Amino acid sequence: MTDAPLQATLSPLGLQRRARHFANLRLPIAPWLYLAPTLCILFVWIYWPLLRSIELSFTEWNMLPTATPRPVGLQNYRNLLELPELQQAAMNTVWYVVGLLPLSVVIPLFVAILTQNLRGPMRNLYRSLIFVPMIVPPIVAAVLWRWLLNRDYGLVNLGLSTLGIDPVSFFADPDLALWTMVWITGWKLMGFSTLLFSAANSTIDPGYLEAARMDGATEWQITRDIRLPLLSPMILLLIMMTVLFGAQWSFVYINAITDGGPLGSTSNIFFLMWKYGFQTFSAGWSATAGVMTFITFGVLALVFQALSRKVTFHDD
Amino acid sequence: MTIRFSPKGILTHGTMILLSLTAVVPICWMVVTSLRPATGIFEATLWPSEVTFDNYVYVFDAIPMLRMLWNTFVMASATAIAQVLTGLTAAYALTRWRFRGGKAVQALIALSWLVPFQVTMIPNYVLSTKLGLLNTITGLVLPNAAAAFAVLLLVNAMRSFPRQVIEAARMDDAGHWRILWQIIVPNLRAPLASLGVLAFISAWNEYFWPLLLIRRMDDAVVQIGLQMFMSQEGNQWGPLMAAATLASLPVLAIYLVLHRQIIESFMKSGIK
Repeated sequence: MTDAPLQATLSPLGLQRRARHFANLRLPIAPWLYLAPTLCILFVWIYWPLLRSIELSFTEWNMLPTATPRPVGLQNYRNLLELPELQQAAMNTVWYVVGLLPLSVVIPLFVAILTQNLRGPMRNLYRSLIFVPMIVPPIVAAVLWRWLLNRDYGLVNLGLSTLGIDPVSFFADPDLALWTMVWITGWKLMGFSTLLFSAANSTIDPGYLEAARMDGATEWQITRDIRLPLLSPMILLLIMMTVLFGAQWSFVYINAITDGGPLGSTSNIFFLMWKYGFQTFSAGWSATAGVMTFITFGVLALVFQALSRKVTFHDD
Repeated sequence: MTIRFSPKGILTHGTMILLSLTAVVPICWMVVTSLRPATGIFEATLWPSEVTFDNYVYVFDAIPMLRMLWNTFVMASATAIAQVLTGLTAAYALTRWRFRGGKAVQALIALSWLVPFQVTMIPNYVLSTKLGLLNTITGLVLPNAAAAFAVLLLVNAMRSFPRQVIEAARMDDAGHWRILWQIIVPNLRAPLASLGVLAFISAWNEYFWPLLLIRRMDDAVVQIGLQMFMSQEGNQWGPLMAAATLASLPVLAIYLVLHRQIIESFMKSGIK
């Protein structure tokens, strides 16, 4: 237990003795007292349940308080890995992420670069407007997109019909429903990502750009050789967020609109965990899917960590 | 207005206008639909031929909307206050002392962010049942009473806090508790306020945990009430849009007043 900076400033003034006096008074438990509320909550509601889930994944349990979990070894893992329902959900999880990337990274990046010279009063208005979906409650987004994309009276299908296109069943068509869910998830994020890219873009030292222009570089060359490399940490961050959390963000829409259907086409791994836990009451299966998901995303997080270290290096 | 009518200016503004419309037209359409009379719900006009609040009256009759809004308000305020308080003391400990295990603790806090709620939900649900927290606001608040992002945000704010001020206070024999409350807190008003607003909005919009914990409309937060209402009423678009408008009104009102600060703090703290 030290308070190094404090002692360092005091010693030149000949106050070392006084400082040591303080140091002796300080109890080593003080920082732990200050940390206690946070640590208690994290342990009770995150880390301990995580361990419990790992334990549950080796058991069979219907969640009734009267029944006790029955140990089944690796049975759950074997069963789940062979289960077509889980394979479909895992594959869909990948599609959710892949589908979200254009909405949360590609389009926002493109828009941010395209509109970088925007100045004046309109700029703040646009900023405020495109951010709105981010703060709207997700269930409200679910309700309103269900209405907008309604097959018979929805605004989108009304628009399509004036173009002479037949009504589209956005939620009932198994080939389409997942992409509809992706769109709703992405709709909430698009403006926010755009603002993040704009902010990162505006911190680029104009000196670099001037120098490149003096050398006769075209705007496209400047974008490709200066802006994109300097934006790469932000690009990586948003890709990471989308990969790690994209499928989780879709849960509300799946739960509230399609319930995983039609034909399981919109189900993903997070939805399946909830379904096993709270619809079919197979706690063991839910926990098993949870542990496998946690490990997979944990590994992905490590990969991104390593990548981002490389990217920042490259920046220097 | 400085819209330059160069091709580049048109492209820039065109892109932003398109993105803005994509963002707000759905929300405007929700509000407009909620104001249409039952007979004109399928109109495609920009403004209802006849503005009526019938749908809102219907919602207040059909579900305990005011009660749910109040529940949500209490839950979101309590969560925000709890996150600020736990974040404050934890951040103080992590920035003021160098102690064995400090680094590990900070990593443990940061990593908690990576654990998906769906992975811990069953043990959490079982624990809440045992503690009698089903259908209670306390149950909704407790697991969210501390948040990694709150701690990390305040750690950053405190790191940039001028050391000399704290040292001067220590010379006056001020204890840590007093330093935290009388020196640091008043000087960190801005980050504390933005953290509070951010936590309030996130808690207001929380869906998953209430979905597990709340089974009765009377105890519901508005997100779950809306979900229950939707499964009951199916395609009653007018009342549904009125309920959805009511559920988003408080956050939209806060946003209307504080939009600049909210955007700023969302961008600083990441997405989750």
